[in-house]
Amino acid sequence: MVSSSSLWQRTRQFTLSLPVQLGLFTGLGMLILWTMYFSTYPPAHNTLHQVRHTTLGVACH
Amino acid sequence: MKTIQYAGLALVAFVASVIFLLRLPPAGAAATVQVQTIPPLTQVFPGQEPVLIRLQALDSQGQPLTNARLQVRLVTPAKTPWLSTDFPIVEGTTLLELKSTAPEGSLEFSQVLPIRGTYRLEVAVAPGNGGTFQPFEQSLTLSLAEAPLKFRNLGILLVVLLLVGFAGGWVIGGEQTLQPGEIAPQPVRLLLSGVIVVAIGVLLYVNITAEFNHGHAGHGHHSHEVVAAKARQTAQGITAELTGETHAIVGQLATQGIQLTEATTGKPATEALVQVRAIDLEHQEPVFAYEASPDTTGRLTWKQQFYDGAPHQLTVRVVPLPEANRQFAPLQVSHEIEVEAVEPPLLTRLISLGYFTIVLVTGLVLGLLGRRRSRPKWVQPG
Repeated sequence: MVSSSSLWQRTRQFTLSLPVQLGLFTGLGMLILWTMYFSTYPPAHNTLHQVRHTTLGVACH
Repeated sequence: MKTIQYAGLALVAFVASVIFLLRLPPAGAAATVQVQTIPPLTQVFPGQEPVLIRLQALDSQGQPLTNARLQVRLVTPAKTPWLSTDFPIVEGTTLLELKSTAPEGSLEFSQVLPIRGTYRLEVAVAPGNGGTFQPFEQSLTLSLAEAPLKFRNLGILLVVLLLVGFAGGWVIGGEQTLQPGEIAPQPVRLLLSGVIVVAIGVLLYVNITAEFNHGHAGHGHHSHEVVAAKARQTAQGITAELTGETHAIVGQLATQGIQLTEATTGKPATEALVQVRAIDLEHQEPVFAYEASPDTTGRLTWKQQFYDGAPHQLTVRVVPLPEANRQFAPLQVSHEIEVEAVEPPLLTRLISLGYFTIVLVTGLVLGLLGRRRSRPKWVQPG
């Protein structure tokens, strides 16, 4: 039986642990990059169409 | 004295022989095709203004081949999956296929070259009416460098990613325990982390939904029948009828053609010059231009790829040849072409995302290490 305070403590420690913080940061960064440069979502694509076509290594259509 | 005269004659004969031999084509010289671009390709970058490509067939003496038929195929540079161009669907495909009579052995067209790399021009030369030479084929290359602007923008992006990663590493590498006087207490920091998780979830949902919806829509487009439209005009006894596909797909050739006939008799009209022009309507920029005469059936056909997924306008102007028996006012026919865009391959995009992520993580690690080294050493109390 795990007490609620112990569970909270473990959750807090896990969330603030270095690997999780680094993972969250990298994941968020990757998703922002994907949305800006590679997403086919029309609003994102149309807004940054010119930027995509003028950045080396970024595929568009 | 006679000896000197003989020596002089021998010298003159020798010099004359050398000059004669030098004027002869080298052994094994064959007919060739010369290519010229205006402007020179060193001054052109991908996706800019159309490049005039001029082809000239020459015989073994270097003289223009007359009464020829030229067939040209322009192939785009090979695929580069590890560093994609901005039009990956266009890589390794045929951009143009032209076929025309060439009374002077020449053919020219203007085309925007959409991507960097080495293009291949495959030219087949065959005798036309009255031509007396052996048909031959030749493959030529055109190399185009990448635009410097793209290198600059990539450099800026990589520097930004490195700095953002470094800043992130610096912050995360700091003291994580609650200190007196901190503005954000631990619950708030936990809340911020929770918000990030939600943001990741929302962004994932949006992007995956967009991918699936687009994929399904794309299938629907591909299943459509190709619709052929005609634009027809008759004036002063000449009928011009534009035939061809009004729906094209990026990466694939679309067949276009024009038929010229005499309106009264229905016979083919051949003594005319056909001036073709294609315009990208989204950017209002010309992408292709071509001039040729119709064949003996009054028909001119060509195949072209529309590399940009945007509507295009194809306009054909028909003018009489100066020496033609029948003179008429220029005719113009046109039609709009809907061009279906094709999304870049997912793998190609993921590879580039991988590069950017590596730079971000490099900055992150540098920031983390930098912060840890800058921490004050623990001083034992005396």
